[in-house]
Amino acid sequence: MSSNHEKKSPPLNLSGWRCVPTLLMVVGGFLSLLGLAVTWYKNTHGNVNNHDYLAEFGMSWLLAFMFFYSLALGSLFLVMVHHLTDASWSVGIRRFCEHIASLLGWPLIVMFLPIAIFSKHIYSWMNYSPETNNLVAAKLPVFTTCGFYVTSAIFFGILWFLSSRLSSLSLQQDKTGAAEQTHKMRFHSGWGIVVFALVLTFSGVLWMKATQYEWFSCIYGVYFFSDSAWIALATVYIIAAILYRQGTLAGLLQRNYFYFIGVLFFGFTLFSAYTEFAQYFVVWNANMPQETFWYLIRENGNWWWLSMILILGHFFVPFFILLPVSVKTSFKVVIPVCLWAWLMHALDLAFNIFPTLHNDGYHFKWIWLPLGTMMFMGGFLARVFVKKFTSNPPYPIRDPRLLEAMGVNRHLVNDLTPAPSTGGNQ
Amino acid sequence: MSAPAKEKVYGLMAEFDSPAAILDAAKKVRDAGYSRWDTFTPFPIHGMDEVMKLGNSLVGWVALGGGAFMFANVAFLIWFSNAWDYPLIVGGKPMFSVPMTFVPAYIMLIMGGAVGALIGMLAFNQLPRLHHPLLKIPQFETASRDKFILLIGATDKNFSVTETRKLLEQLGGAQITLVEDED
Repeated sequence: MSSNHEKKSPPLNLSGWRCVPTLLMVVGGFLSLLGLAVTWYKNTHGNVNNHDYLAEFGMSWLLAFMFFYSLALGSLFLVMVHHLTDASWSVGIRRFCEHIASLLGWPLIVMFLPIAIFSKHIYSWMNYSPETNNLVAAKLPVFTTCGFYVTSAIFFGILWFLSSRLSSLSLQQDKTGAAEQTHKMRFHSGWGIVVFALVLTFSGVLWMKATQYEWFSCIYGVYFFSDSAWIALATVYIIAAILYRQGTLAGLLQRNYFYFIGVLFFGFTLFSAYTEFAQYFVVWNANMPQETFWYLIRENGNWWWLSMILILGHFFVPFFILLPVSVKTSFKVVIPVCLWAWLMHALDLAFNIFPTLHNDGYHFKWIWLPLGTMMFMGGFLARVFVKKFTSNPPYPIRDPRLLEAMGVNRHLVNDLTPAPSTGGNQ
Repeated sequence: MSAPAKEKVYGLMAEFDSPAAILDAAKKVRDAGYSRWDTFTPFPIHGMDEVMKLGNSLVGWVALGGGAFMFANVAFLIWFSNAWDYPLIVGGKPMFSVPMTFVPAYIMLIMGGAVGALIGMLAFNQLPRLHHPLLKIPQFETASRDKFILLIGATDKNFSVTETRKLLEQLGGAQITLVEDED
């Protein structure tokens, strides 16, 4: 295996990057506000063909929201799996996963507000009456304006409670060092993982799939889950590598950490391709007009090219790069793949969201708007994350499994065996 | 392979008492410039793979080749039988389409990968064979009980019966034995 991060290189100095989240927020916030103003103006002044320009803003905002929402969901999943499997190795990366997961509290709720406000422009089903539209009537009582807000509130309530419990119990343990908190976190993960699966599925359907409310796909929740875990693992790899090189977690993280995260990342590359293909294959095979239209829209114009990019870039490129055993611990190889995964995940969400609005292909004159919303939301959430991270210990300092995570017992065994000079020739 | 007397020698083997002792000896054998040597221990020893500079096995590439071969083969078979040799419309689908081939081709990819891994494994570890010179030495059995055995092969370019024996003695190896090959 390569040992590129065992060399003694000077720790990363990130002080120059400190202003980046704020910068992103300012630039992205300006672009988002400009987008809102432009689309508002176009909707109200001389809108002859009755095109809903505000939907452009709403969908761009939805894209950014779903991107960071899936990232937080994936991190929450990693934290819960850590507790459920009683894992020891992942103690070192758990704290910042908890911080990303706890973005599911007020930060993402605030980010959801524009979606709630402009929901009528994003979700076309809100404009149809269940009395005249069979497909909306079939989804009562959730698919009513009131049902949408109540369900969304329930989703956020559950996720906020779950992520804040896991995060605050872990912080409590930093003070007490008691095993009691570990047991409590395990309890919350137990019911949490079931409710998490339900909330993830229904929120994916309600917030993303319902942009095309006429369509149905039974695997959509699994598909959204696999992508969430995939993007979370890519992010965890990058953050762990930064904290390792920066020195914050240098004594704690070892090569096996990066190997394990890399293997999981590789595994979810396969799994997400599997779910995406399964969805396509079932629709293709059944060949029913009420399902195939979703993919037919996505063969128009540049959506066709985007689907080709996704097949190659979302699966084949990361799959073949990550396939050899030894590359998983090589930062130089995996980190570019992780950054690539961010791009691919954003494109994949765009592939799900935007074709409803642009049936004939994406209009690139609007590209600045989703870029702006992504920058603003990324900057805002990064600021919240950095604040949480810096005001707490960087890893669970009194976790009962911490020594195991550092591989201490393994070295103890080697230290206790007789040294070669004392054993030997008799 | 020049002198007929040398053909008889397979290697020199020494016995150690602890994982730490054999790990230390292995480091020194490596530093002495030997390349064709091996260790036999009752259980895997952490760090030994790094000391012995054991890379990843090439078996994975054979498995990849076998899988890719079968994948392409089945895709070709479906195209050949459905679209070329005996075109048949099924369910209004095109004669040949990539999503259609994927599932059977993928199943056979797994099959090809498994067979490739098996063949690759047998090819690289030179199995099956009926006999190995080491099995003739009675104390070699202790390598699966409580002893740690290091063997330096006669095919190594640095190998010499006297010098290598001296090195093994210096390292603290017990029961240094000359392993002979009857072939």
